[in-house]
Amino acid sequence: MNTGSNNQISTRQAIVILINYILAAGILTLPRTSAEKVGTTDVWLAVLIGGAIAIAAGSVMARLSDRYPGRTFFQYSTVVAGKWVGGIVSLAMIVYFIWISAFEVRTMAEVTSFFLLEGTPNWAIVIAFMWVGIYLVVGGIDPIARLFEIVLPITIIIFVLVTLLSMRIFEFQRLRPVLGLGFVPVLEGIKTTTLAFLGPEILLVITAFMKRPGAAIKVVVGGVAIAAAFYLATVILVIGGLSLDGARASTWPTIDLIRSFELQGLLLERFDSLLLTIWIMQIFSTFTITLYAAAKGASDLFKRGFKPFVYCFLPIIFLCAMMPKNINETFQMGDIIGNVALYLFGVVPLLFLGLSFMRRRRR
Amino acid sequence: MLRWIIAHIPSGYLFLQAAAVGLVPYGVSRVTAKVNAMAMFNPTMGESRFPEDEAGDPLTGKFDEDLAVFEQWIENYDDVGIRHFELGGDSGIRAVVIYAEGLSDRNVIHRQILQALMGGEFDVRSTGTLSEQVLRQLPVLKTKECGNIRQAIGQVLEGWAALIVDGVPEAIMLGAFKGVPRQMDEPESEGLIRGARVGFNENLHDNTAILRRFGENQSLFIQKMKVGRRAKRNMAIVYIEDVADPKIVEEVKSRIRRIDLDSVPESGYIEQMIEDSSLSPFPQIQSTERPDRVFGALMEGRVAILLAGTPFALIVPATLSMFLQSPEDYFERWLPGTMFRLLRFFALTVSLLAPSLYISFISFHPGLIPTKLAMSIIGSRVNVPFTALVEALILEVSIELLREAGLRLPKPIGPAMGIVGGLVIGEAAVQAGIVSPILVIVIAVTAISSFAIPHYNIGLSFRMLRFVSMFCAGVFGLFGVILFFLALCIHLVNLRSFGVLYAGPLVSYPFKDWKDFLIRAPLAAMKRRPKILKPKQPIRKG
Repeated sequence: MNTGSNNQISTRQAIVILINYILAAGILTLPRTSAEKVGTTDVWLAVLIGGAIAIAAGSVMARLSDRYPGRTFFQYSTVVAGKWVGGIVSLAMIVYFIWISAFEVRTMAEVTSFFLLEGTPNWAIVIAFMWVGIYLVVGGIDPIARLFEIVLPITIIIFVLVTLLSMRIFEFQRLRPVLGLGFVPVLEGIKTTTLAFLGPEILLVITAFMKRPGAAIKVVVGGVAIAAAFYLATVILVIGGLSLDGARASTWPTIDLIRSFELQGLLLERFDSLLLTIWIMQIFSTFTITLYAAAKGASDLFKRGFKPFVYCFLPIIFLCAMMPKNINETFQMGDIIGNVALYLFGVVPLLFLGLSFMRRRRR
Repeated sequence: MLRWIIAHIPSGYLFLQAAAVGLVPYGVSRVTAKVNAMAMFNPTMGESRFPEDEAGDPLTGKFDEDLAVFEQWIENYDDVGIRHFELGGDSGIRAVVIYAEGLSDRNVIHRQILQALMGGEFDVRSTGTLSEQVLRQLPVLKTKECGNIRQAIGQVLEGWAALIVDGVPEAIMLGAFKGVPRQMDEPESEGLIRGARVGFNENLHDNTAILRRFGENQSLFIQKMKVGRRAKRNMAIVYIEDVADPKIVEEVKSRIRRIDLDSVPESGYIEQMIEDSSLSPFPQIQSTERPDRVFGALMEGRVAILLAGTPFALIVPATLSMFLQSPEDYFERWLPGTMFRLLRFFALTVSLLAPSLYISFISFHPGLIPTKLAMSIIGSRVNVPFTALVEALILEVSIELLREAGLRLPKPIGPAMGIVGGLVIGEAAVQAGIVSPILVIVIAVTAISSFAIPHYNIGLSFRMLRFVSMFCAGVFGLFGVILFFLALCIHLVNLRSFGVLYAGPLVSYPFKDWKDFLIRAPLAAMKRRPKILKPKQPIRKG
């Protein structure tokens, strides 16, 4: 008997999935990457604009999926753009999801082995992490949505707690001047900040499972806005706490911010363990949802079962994750993925939407 | 570009690991699927489980022949008695009463059956058939007719008295049961400060009667069934017809019909045969001795299963939050109710994670706890030759041993156990340098927390899981604990009890249900029944 398991998710669950997908490596690295690119204290402005762009791009994807209710992108792409073009684009997206999944796993392994488990080999960390992940993914979208609903409140509570504590070393002076060097530096950082908001592309898959697919745009706006609040808080607090140069100089500025103060008399003196806990959970959710998207895409595209693809993709993701030789190569891999995503999810959905309108009209 | 790729092709060793990454979970999934299929109740069994029920020797209506068959049957039952007599004392109409010693009430047979029939007047010419005349004379509440010798014998062995009269084609079965009275004492395993001092006993009728006594309620349905193939036992399914989701009721009935066991000695057998996942560490059905708990669950739209011969009733569908609630939460005012509920959730977390956090902080991240504390712990561990995991395991296993041993000890020896356990294990182990004193505190707090969990069987689940989390912490430290927590949550969100999500209001956010989850809202504010149970009548009518 499976009365409740209808493989459908509510609008709220879709928003939760989107937030959990967006929040990932960026929480720890965004202050550095954006500070490097922008170079002035207006980083927060770049974050806001990046969020707005993500909402725009996400809305296009939401609108596109909305036109084909109950079907994932991988099912309707061949209808929209023909067998070959649609197939190739779908394949590209599957590869993208596998790569970003691998990237998240690798980043997680780097951070974990650096801060928590010195001496434990990366592969052991990665394998344990992936085995727990597969337990979730084989259950389908339903358990994924429900787990994310447990993870997100924990994330919010601990994040708010930790950021409030870091107010101790926050100095507003460090955030000034506003637009001291004009608007040009902000523009240079926009690409970096936009890439921190990678995630709305999941709508190409999950809209098919939504009880009310029409609410997909609401999901994009709500999800990106809440994620933007997280990023904004992170960037402002890190720059206000460590100063712009401090943020630029450290690999994981957010952790360094939390490590830079201690509280006496409490059960915990330092709070980076709490931050790492929620961060690992966030990476876990990004990893699982991308693995799910890749496997779901492949099963829809090739019209085969879902679970075999999950098991097949695991070794591939593992190999991709282990390919970069050091942390710099890992970040390079992230940059490449970002550039690909810009075209794959910024431009392609727009073309598809146009094509879809044309087809509808011709009929 | 090509050179870059070639330079980054991983070594052969990595390919081996990659294969393991994919194959191990696949293998595990295959094995669990096999085990599940094996443990699952048998879906091929249809409605009519006991074909032999319908077969059997029909009563011929010829007194001597039938009597001979009966006597053949009861030859081997030395506890079944037979009494020959004539109706009206000397009317010449022969009759026998067959009864089981101990199961049938002697007084009823003497006064209401034998006395009435021997003293009555019977005339072949008077109105009505002979069986009608007999029934007219019998001051017995429960009577029925039975046309099959095998069935009649079966009923005699249940406590009915069989009356066979010359000239009546059927056996007349008379309800002359003898109850085995037991006080409805307060259950020892689930005591309360405030609340009715009543618990179920081993008598099915008494148990259903207590539920009736909670208030007149025409829609409280009690439906009896039998389970067990060889030793058939009475059981009852209880639900409130216009509240419980009919789908759940139907599912309960069909799962019980599919039980194919020789005998069902205790409701735990039913529980294990109808639960959803036998591999899960969590109990998916609540068992309780408290009628107030059962009645509260019925009012929420759940279904109760009572089995004759055991005071433990089952409640389905169960959710995790149920196991952390106590009827007292509702009997006391809502503020203390809420506080104690929050305290229990805290206790649950501590009992699950405290030892593993100790292990991960001591052996992997001493930098994360306050420096002074870290210093004192490490100072106290100087003489301990073991790793934190082994140290914690030594103490934790001995606590479990103490508990298990204490459970079955005769009461006078109990205190002696406490002295041996407390002194030897606590004091001496520290002095001998086997464990550190801080760990003794951690384990003691863990044990106390696990006692605060109001349900014994959910406590068992968390005791098992505590060991798993300790091993995770021993291998991966805090990272292992996080992964353990995630895996546990994944299991919980996948688990269902009779179609209802086990993690209950924690997921899918039916926020209205949260009024009775972490907190216990004022009674007046809880206007609705739990939404996750999909009750037919969602509003609790005042």
